[in-house]
Amino acid sequence: MARPHHLAAAAAVAGLASAAAAPTLGAQARPAAAVAGGGRAPSEAQLLRGRALVLNHGCGDCHGGSPDPASEGFLAGYRPDAVPSLEFRIGPCADRPDAQPCFRTRPRNLTPDNATGTGRFTERQLFNALRYGLRPGETPDVEITGTTPGQGNFPAHPKYLAPPMPWPAFRHMADQELRDIAAYLKHAVAPVRNRVPDSEGPPDFWASAYTVALIGPYPAAPFPTAREQRPTLARAVRGTGDRSAPPPRR
Amino acid sequence: MPRSHPLSVRTAVAAALALQVAAAPSTPPAAPARAGPAARTVELTLTAAPARLALRDGGDTTDVWAYDGRVPGPTLDLREGDRVVVHFRNRLPEASTIHWHGLTLPFVADGSPFHPVPPGGSHDYVFTVPRGTAGTYWYHPHPDHRTGAQVARGLYGAIVVRAPDDPLPASLPEHVLVLSDNRFRPGGAIDIADPASPAGRVDAENGREGDVVFVSGRVMPALAIRSGEVQRWRIVNASAARVYRLALEGHRLLHVGSDGGLFARGVERGELTLGVGERAEVLVRGTGAPGTRALLRALPYDRYIPQTRPADWATPRDLLALRYDDGPPVAPPALPEVLRPVAPLDTGRVAARRVMVLTQHLINGKHMDMARVDVRARLGTTEIWEVENLVGMDHPFHLHGFRFQVLDRNGVPEPFPSWKDVVNVPKHETARFVVRFDGFAGKWMYHCHILDHEDHGMMGVLEVRP
Repeated sequence: MARPHHLAAAAAVAGLASAAAAPTLGAQARPAAAVAGGGRAPSEAQLLRGRALVLNHGCGDCHGGSPDPASEGFLAGYRPDAVPSLEFRIGPCADRPDAQPCFRTRPRNLTPDNATGTGRFTERQLFNALRYGLRPGETPDVEITGTTPGQGNFPAHPKYLAPPMPWPAFRHMADQELRDIAAYLKHAVAPVRNRVPDSEGPPDFWASAYTVALIGPYPAAPFPTAREQRPTLARAVRGTGDRSAPPPRR
Repeated sequence: MPRSHPLSVRTAVAAALALQVAAAPSTPPAAPARAGPAARTVELTLTAAPARLALRDGGDTTDVWAYDGRVPGPTLDLREGDRVVVHFRNRLPEASTIHWHGLTLPFVADGSPFHPVPPGGSHDYVFTVPRGTAGTYWYHPHPDHRTGAQVARGLYGAIVVRAPDDPLPASLPEHVLVLSDNRFRPGGAIDIADPASPAGRVDAENGREGDVVFVSGRVMPALAIRSGEVQRWRIVNASAARVYRLALEGHRLLHVGSDGGLFARGVERGELTLGVGERAEVLVRGTGAPGTRALLRALPYDRYIPQTRPADWATPRDLLALRYDDGPPVAPPALPEVLRPVAPLDTGRVAARRVMVLTQHLINGKHMDMARVDVRARLGTTEIWEVENLVGMDHPFHLHGFRFQVLDRNGVPEPFPSWKDVVNVPKHETARFVVRFDGFAGKWMYHCHILDHEDHGMMGVLEVRP
């Protein structure tokens, strides 16, 4: 685990001097154990929770082509030689190759490499990506407290992760789960240098595709919505093996 | 030995660009120690005001904002050691400043957003041009959030600083080429998109570009040259966002200088890429035959993110025509092999190494906050800054108040030291530079020089204290 590398990268993101490189810094020096965003160094328990979530949500399937954390390229993102392809065609061209518009998107390198991965992004930026769909390279590193553009630090012109990243589903995970995933990605994965070609997209960075009307609100509407129902008492009784009774009338 | 030159400045491509220096060279009562053998005071008035000009030959007139009624503004011709006094009159309907891009001067003379001049107001910019800073610079407004809007309307101009011991012969014909692009609506009005419109959103990402490219205020001007002649061109990229990948048909350029002046030796180039705010000095050798013509073109250059890449990005653009006159060739002048030695800054004792992470509209994940100081440093110290561009478009990084030397790009060392104040960092690339804070204390901006990006807050504050 390349822990010193992550810590140096984390300190550097704050724009302060790297203690390892400078001969004298005085008050500008940052303690080596500092983590960008002001957080504590993560515990092994948190990292393992994050790992479990990354595994059971299949992140590696797209971001590297394998669910196996021991596989080469795990979470390192799109590779041109992957079979099946890790490149997605979004738009009418998904069905008809020559149709327009056609946007080719590619899963990002999620390892904490500084130049090609997430090394220069904070855990908070990764959290904001999973919770709100906001691209770390286009969104300030700030606490976001709402989903209305222009309010609560939610950007007035949001720039979203490209489809088919299922963040509209992942956003419904608990806060702690998303933080655990961010901690695992930042601290427990070896950095891999893999430059993924930039994903294409419309000039509005998918804002018209990720409206509340299309993906629903966050948090989700309370249960039960019009498409859901509460179970009745009879249906909720655990089975006793007595199959002679007719099913209850609705 | 200072060379004499007439008070009217050397003409740029358009003959109308002549600066009337308001005062004759004077003998200051007590010349500053670094003023040089013949220090003088250059005093002038620059007025920024609305005007109506015909920007294109045969085109409609356009409402502009202009310095002294012309676009670009007058070229200032200065010498090392000059004490400069600029009486700035702001006749615009909004606050403005004049930022003297690349010059080393006191904080209060920087023309940064910290010192806005209100509409109808005036301000005297006073500074001395330090020895050893001969080069090509430029000036433009730099008010908070409005730089792009004011430059788009025509407020920009060039500055030439000459050394008393310039190694290049004074007899070389010289041209100052200020590159700037713009776009217009039918009827001639400058087209500035509503920020909330789709075109406005594209401008916010790419930086505002236009299909009409001006060279010192002219579209496709002709420059005359004689076979055998060598000309000295000072090229300024004064565009809001466009990068110029320059090539002169049938000629190789001798690249002899950057933002902060001449190199030790010239470099032969088939093409030269100039990012926003950067300058270059080149020698153009008249190797063509009498009566022929060569176009200076901007070749395709993809600086864009895929989401907002213009459909016509790969169109080469013709900038000017170099026309050989019919006269018999002249003997090329002798040029010195060594131009101006540039001592590399000492990287052995570095007070700090900093990383500037550039993402879209952000530096180190933050927008500019005028009330926040991002970096603190001490006057006289040396630092190394690594600029990392993590996103898919170029960002030209500019630092106020202090010139720097680029050490390496993507880990590949620069072949020789040169003075710069803008480094264009292409998409997904890095550049490292060394800077010595040997100018003045104060709060100095650093920012992406794509004007829409700096207006959106892709900027930070360096405070340098004694």
